[in-house]
Amino acid sequence: MAAAIETRDLRVVYPSRKGAVTALDGVSLTVPVGTVFGFLGPNGAGKTTTMHVLLGFVAATSGEARLFGADVRRSIARQRIGYLAEHPETYRFLTGRELLRKAGALFLMNGPQIRRRVDDVLRLVDLGEAAERRIATYSRGMLQRIGLAQALINDPDLVILDEPAGGLDPIGRLSIRRIIAGLRERGKTVFFSSHELSEVEMVCDQIAIIAGGRIVAEGAASELVKPGESLEKYFMKVVSGSAEMRA
Amino acid sequence: MRRILTIASIVWMEMLRRKDIYVLLILLGAMLAGIVSLDIFGLGGVAGYVKDTGLLMAWLFSWIMTVGVSTRELPQEESRGTIFSLLAKPVRRMDLVAGKWLGCWTVAAAATLAFYVLTAVIILLKGGKFSFPVLVQSYFLHAAALSVVAAAGLALSTRLHHDAAAAMTYVATGAAYLILPRVSEFMAGLSGPRGIAMMVLYYMAPHLELFDMRRRFVHSYGPLHWGIFAVILAYGMLFTALLLLVAWLSYRRKRFARGALG
Repeated sequence: MAAAIETRDLRVVYPSRKGAVTALDGVSLTVPVGTVFGFLGPNGAGKTTTMHVLLGFVAATSGEARLFGADVRRSIARQRIGYLAEHPETYRFLTGRELLRKAGALFLMNGPQIRRRVDDVLRLVDLGEAAERRIATYSRGMLQRIGLAQALINDPDLVILDEPAGGLDPIGRLSIRRIIAGLRERGKTVFFSSHELSEVEMVCDQIAIIAGGRIVAEGAASELVKPGESLEKYFMKVVSGSAEMRA
Repeated sequence: MRRILTIASIVWMEMLRRKDIYVLLILLGAMLAGIVSLDIFGLGGVAGYVKDTGLLMAWLFSWIMTVGVSTRELPQEESRGTIFSLLAKPVRRMDLVAGKWLGCWTVAAAATLAFYVLTAVIILLKGGKFSFPVLVQSYFLHAAALSVVAAAGLALSTRLHHDAAAAMTYVATGAAYLILPRVSEFMAGLSGPRGIAMMVLYYMAPHLELFDMRRRFVHSYGPLHWGIFAVILAYGMLFTALLLLVAWLSYRRKRFARGALG
């Protein structure tokens, strides 16, 4: 199966006054097309940095990363992807509909495509009634949903979600889970990070666990977690084992 | 090109909804009306005085506005985190820099056009006359100067915070307008490395005074030869392009890492 995401020996080192900080230390990852891939790790493990390299926000110090075979340093690599940040911030002076139109224009979609797609994604995230309101008036949950809507505006083949359910109420989480399930049904690839292990267990085909900038476990959740063991327990075991190794 | 226009349109919508332009226009109108209604030294009714004051205000306000907007755009994208959703799309850093410049410049040029129209209307109301071609040339050269200022502001804001970039741009463009024309006078008395350094500064820095046609407009000297006008416009475009190139070189490898290490 072709890879939606492929990284080889990614290293990211941030210079700092107290010496260099290694954020990623040889991360190699393959996310097959059509899978829902959970990317787990404790705070500071390197999840967001990995996503930032994939999206071109941060250039890797060494190694390589590709999206559908295209080098992430080229803007064309982002043509088929959608991204939702952990704390989605957007132009609050625009209305929801205006924001989505601008997002569509950045993907060079034409007028009728934009109009159709804007209506579709507004319906999907249940923001149809608030579409003409300024985003400045939106609640936290609505901000998350408009962020998700702009991530889906181009009908992406790969969706990268950084803590998509963070700060959402149970109804909001359920809605995100349904959207991810819908994407899977349509053969899309979803790569997402989350601290909600029960949620990951419910929706993911495969997982990878990162700790200290290294991948410490990777595979299907059902293969990694022994019968009778929970993902949470497995996660704690792997992460603490990795910390001891580094110590 | 469409991505650049989309980014520019976002700058426009922000400016219109933040109401900065309206405040500046109202302030300018009020100041202009106040100044021309005062009969300072018995000059209140002289059209030349209105021309001088109007264009001076237009230069001052458009400069403040251009520096303020151009140095705010990129740092603001980073501080509020919108840079992430923008760059996650197939937008090149060059598109972003060019779109921001286009948005800042066209906003400032449009506001300046309003200043010029307001000044022209007041001159006509005062019974004064002016040469329309000179007014047109004045406006286009003024807009070209704003293009250079906007590009300089953006270039400095790629690595500096808004306040620092704004202060640096005010100093640099203010010096380019006020001090640079005098540098040739100092050059005559200098030799050796200091003389060479001064000469490099004189020829490499943008001469913003070339774009200022206020004296010609106020004293009704008649329009510039159109060939010279075109050369000055080309000079402005060249400096704009150079400064945008610097901005892109500085911005293209910049790391954006809010929440990184996470």
